[in-house]
Amino acid sequence: MATDSLSGAPLSWPEQPGELPRQFESRQALEAELQHLFPEAEGSLSPIRGGRHQAEALLGRIQPARYAKGRNFLDGPVTRLSPYIRHGALSLAEVRDAVFARLQAPGGGGRPAGEKLINELGWRDYWQRLWQQLGGGIWRDQEELKTGHHPGTYSSELPADVAEGRTGLACMDGFIAELHTSGWLHNHARMWLAAYLVHWRRVRWQAGAQWFLRHLLDGDPASNNLSWQWVASSFSHKPYFFNRGNLERYSGGSFCRSCRLSEQGCPFDASYEQLEAELFQPLPSLRSVDAGRRERSSPRSSGPSAALSRPTRRH
Amino acid sequence: MERPILWIHGEALGPANPALQAHPDRPAVFVFDAELLAGRSPTTGDPAGGAPQAVSLKRIGFLYECLLELPVSLRHGDVAAEVLAFARAHGADGIVTSAGTDPRVEAIGKALEQELPVEVLEPEPFVQLDGRVDLGRFSRYWRRAEREVWANWSPQQ
Repeated sequence: MATDSLSGAPLSWPEQPGELPRQFESRQALEAELQHLFPEAEGSLSPIRGGRHQAEALLGRIQPARYAKGRNFLDGPVTRLSPYIRHGALSLAEVRDAVFARLQAPGGGGRPAGEKLINELGWRDYWQRLWQQLGGGIWRDQEELKTGHHPGTYSSELPADVAEGRTGLACMDGFIAELHTSGWLHNHARMWLAAYLVHWRRVRWQAGAQWFLRHLLDGDPASNNLSWQWVASSFSHKPYFFNRGNLERYSGGSFCRSCRLSEQGCPFDASYEQLEAELFQPLPSLRSVDAGRRERSSPRSSGPSAALSRPTRRH
Repeated sequence: MERPILWIHGEALGPANPALQAHPDRPAVFVFDAELLAGRSPTTGDPAGGAPQAVSLKRIGFLYECLLELPVSLRHGDVAAEVLAFARAHGADGIVTSAGTDPRVEAIGKALEQELPVEVLEPEPFVQLDGRVDLGRFSRYWRRAEREVWANWSPQQ
């Protein structure tokens, strides 16, 4: 693009020798400079641009009522504000006020239309408060696993086919490619990928959490690690897992259509009862769970099982 | 303090940063944290894990683009050392920053305090909850927080 130049906001003080450049002819020039300045950092820029201007543009497009209904779908009206909130380009208080203003506007729907989105902002605040309390302890299991497996049976390394996005599963390889190129994933995709890694591949959640933090533009150990722990069951009363029906529904079937394992060999193509028996060792607490409730309750947030609403906690 | 510089950290790259709001005309600096970017801090890597892995270029680029929209000088290296060098270059008598969630922000603030007074300003919270907050599960937190968040709401604009 011709108008691609990037100029730093003016400074009212002289720059010092050795300070980093703030003028670039293009985004490509910025990328080249960063590759030179940070040789350890792999990859390219994300197609997602940083900055307040972009954040405000996204904020202007939030649709609280539609969000509440469609947020679990990969193509649903999620806000994509998380990277900007994580780095304070927008504060959570500013987002809250923007949501309120939208609800108050004619046709905005009032409080009922905004309760879900405000609740999801609450999840962010909740994780931040926990991080402050836990510090570096956020890397340790908060509770025992409820999978019936000894923690020592989980691998501490990310398998090579996962790291390279060549598992052969169209969904997982698609999510991995998006993680690596854009640094942003829909929350449902994060949960599926995390559950696949922890439960199907039996990898420690810490290895997955660290992998995500390298790539996610919104990565911080608060939302990230605690959500991994929620999936793993070290911060919830049971492990999170999913089946093909769930993934197919919320992804519009787009991955399964092109997957070479679609007809045979899909590890997710089973009932919740079958998968539970396959993935976990029997535990009294697991046996008592009606797996069918998972699906029905996942888009909701009522009652003590609010954690089950997590599919779209991130924005 | 009469001639402070501002230390901007990675949780506050926007105009809501209370340090920028309180001192819009003072020199401000952001330091790309070499340890953190190398994956050698709990912000980016498992302290009990194996080999540290560097943060990808995407994340640095995103920060950089946020920073270019702010009046802030950019440095790279050891954060406390670079902020103090910046303060010396501008003849500062103190450092103003904003409170962060990451324990690393506070630790760096303590290191800065060895040489100059540091003032930490609180950003506007999402919700003000006084006293001890039960964070055992989200539902317990939200029972209290939801009421407070919506206390600021009125149906009329």
